Amino acid sequence: MENTKKNIRSFLYKNTPVILLFTSILNEIDFNNLEYKYFSFNFAYILIFYYNLKRDGGIGYAYIFIAGLFNDVMNGIPMGISSLCYLLLCAAAVYLRNITLRPNIIKSWIFFLISILVLNFITFTYLILFFSYEINHFNQMINIFFTFLFYLIFTYLFKIYDNNILGSSN
Amino acid sequence: MESSRDDFVIAIRSAFLKKGNQQRFSLLSLILFSIIFLILGNFNNKVVNFNKTIIKEIIYLSSFIVTIPENLIRKSFNTTADHFEYYNKYVITKNELQELKNKDLSKKIIVYENIELKKLIDDYFIEDSQVYAKVLLDKESPFLRSIIINKGSKNGIKPGMAVYEDIYLIGKVVEVNYITSRVLLISDLNFKLPITIQPLDIEAIMSGHDQQNGKLQYIRGEKIIDENDKELGVVTSGSGGVFKSGIPVGTIDLTNTSKNDEIIVNFYRDFTQLKYVKILSYKKESTQLDQNNKIEFEERSKQIIEINSQDKDIKVLQQQKIINEEIRNKFEIENTKLKENLINTQKEVEKQKNKLKEIQVSNQDIEFLELNLLYGHKCRKTFLRPKLFKINTLEYRTCVLSKEIVKNN
Repeated sequence: MENTKKNIRSFLYKNTPVILLFTSILNEIDFNNLEYKYFSFNFAYILIFYYNLKRDGGIGYAYIFIAGLFNDVMNGIPMGISSLCYLLLCAAAVYLRNITLRPNIIKSWIFFLISILVLNFITFTYLILFFSYEINHFNQMINIFFTFLFYLIFTYLFKIYDNNILGSSN
Repeated sequence: MESSRDDFVIAIRSAFLKKGNQQRFSLLSLILFSIIFLILGNFNNKVVNFNKTIIKEIIYLSSFIVTIPENLIRKSFNTTADHFEYYNKYVITKNELQELKNKDLSKKIIVYENIELKKLIDDYFIEDSQVYAKVLLDKESPFLRSIIINKGSKNGIKPGMAVYEDIYLIGKVVEVNYITSRVLLISDLNFKLPITIQPLDIEAIMSGHDQQNGKLQYIRGEKIIDENDKELGVVTSGSGGVFKSGIPVGTIDLTNTSKNDEIIVNFYRDFTQLKYVKILSYKKESTQLDQNNKIEFEERSKQIIEINSQDKDIKVLQQQKIINEEIRNKFEIENTKLKENLINTQKEVEKQKNKLKEIQVSNQDIEFLELNLLYGHKCRKTFLRPKLFKINTLEYRTCVLSKEIVKNN
């Protein structure tokens, strides 16, 4: 019995980020484009950055690559662009983890902002230059702002989940 | 200085090249793979397209499966909300139905005339194919406002086909897979639709604007919309030949338009509630007015004239019927009065007859009394004439009257 509980906890610990990532991408309710006019945020960015920063092998790169493809197909944008952004975000997180001796949430927060600004710049440039997409820049700025803001909140929630719900398997 | 640069290089190398704990691929290889995907996506190659189609089909279907619980919850919530609004909607619908019934007849005549006129100017389209589809996914992408439907090239769907909900235009097919397709909604920023504002008859281009409405572009600079306008409809103009003309799209939002310079279009349909859609393609009816068509056209024109004349006759007959009914009512009233008069007269006649009888009786009595004075002694029973009659008997009366008859003879 104890062994089964331990297995379940271990499974949840390993796979919760992946499940969350795919569910957020495949579901119709998308935080990235909510019905509200001035509110949206990119949940996938927060999730990927947080778990790759906190854990070694937090979310498998292959899963992230596939999730990016799924996101592109679901949103009707050229296949590969989200995968590239997600993987670059992973690289940024891993780089920050490698150079950090004493983790500081404010530093990682600022680093996250710089990373998503760069990634959105790459996305918009690609879509506008190569595919002539018309993009509402104001909405995208709001999206970046709330993604940045919600990073702190979700960091807190993920920490609670990891520490209290999964408990000792950490 | 050099050591910090070394640290940076080591950290970067570690991030990109080192396979982390439980990672099967390095980041760099997957990033390269993504770039290859992006580059291949720009080529219009058969093999690439086939692979893309397969990937898309798999993703759409898996997304459809994942969204089943979410859709169930949403559906039950909507059903409950609908239930509470049911009665109010029923009352409104009932009133609307009554109004629409009244408008229906005149609309039919206008439609027939419109078809005939469109044929004359070579702008009449007939339905080529019609496919009904279910909305599989409604992923509200920030870059593309589109839906996925469960019909594809297998069902004859082609890029560019118009998509409707009921009679209202909601978008066009932009991507066709084997069993699924993507529909670009008219609320998308990239959708450019040539439209006409009715009844002002002004042409413009509409594109998606916000989540749920459109914006008019390429319209004349001066203020064309008057604040006193009641309702301005937006229909497709048919320019460019992608859509046929006259498909209803929405109405001009007069409240917002008066405040801002932008002209906003409110769509007839709520795109977040799409469930089933209709995909149509049109073709022009053969418009060469050859001899047969001319004959048919003339016949139809005659039919319209005949229907119009019949309509006039029917109106005259209806007026006649109304007059006849009025006359009949008057006659009925007079008839009733006359009947009453007749009954009263009959009663009076009866009264007069009775009076006459009474007078006759009294006259007879007077005559009898006169004769009684003259001949009563000849009939009255006395001691000397015992064979005669007693007074006040019928024999006595007969005797007195007979004496008068004898005398006259």
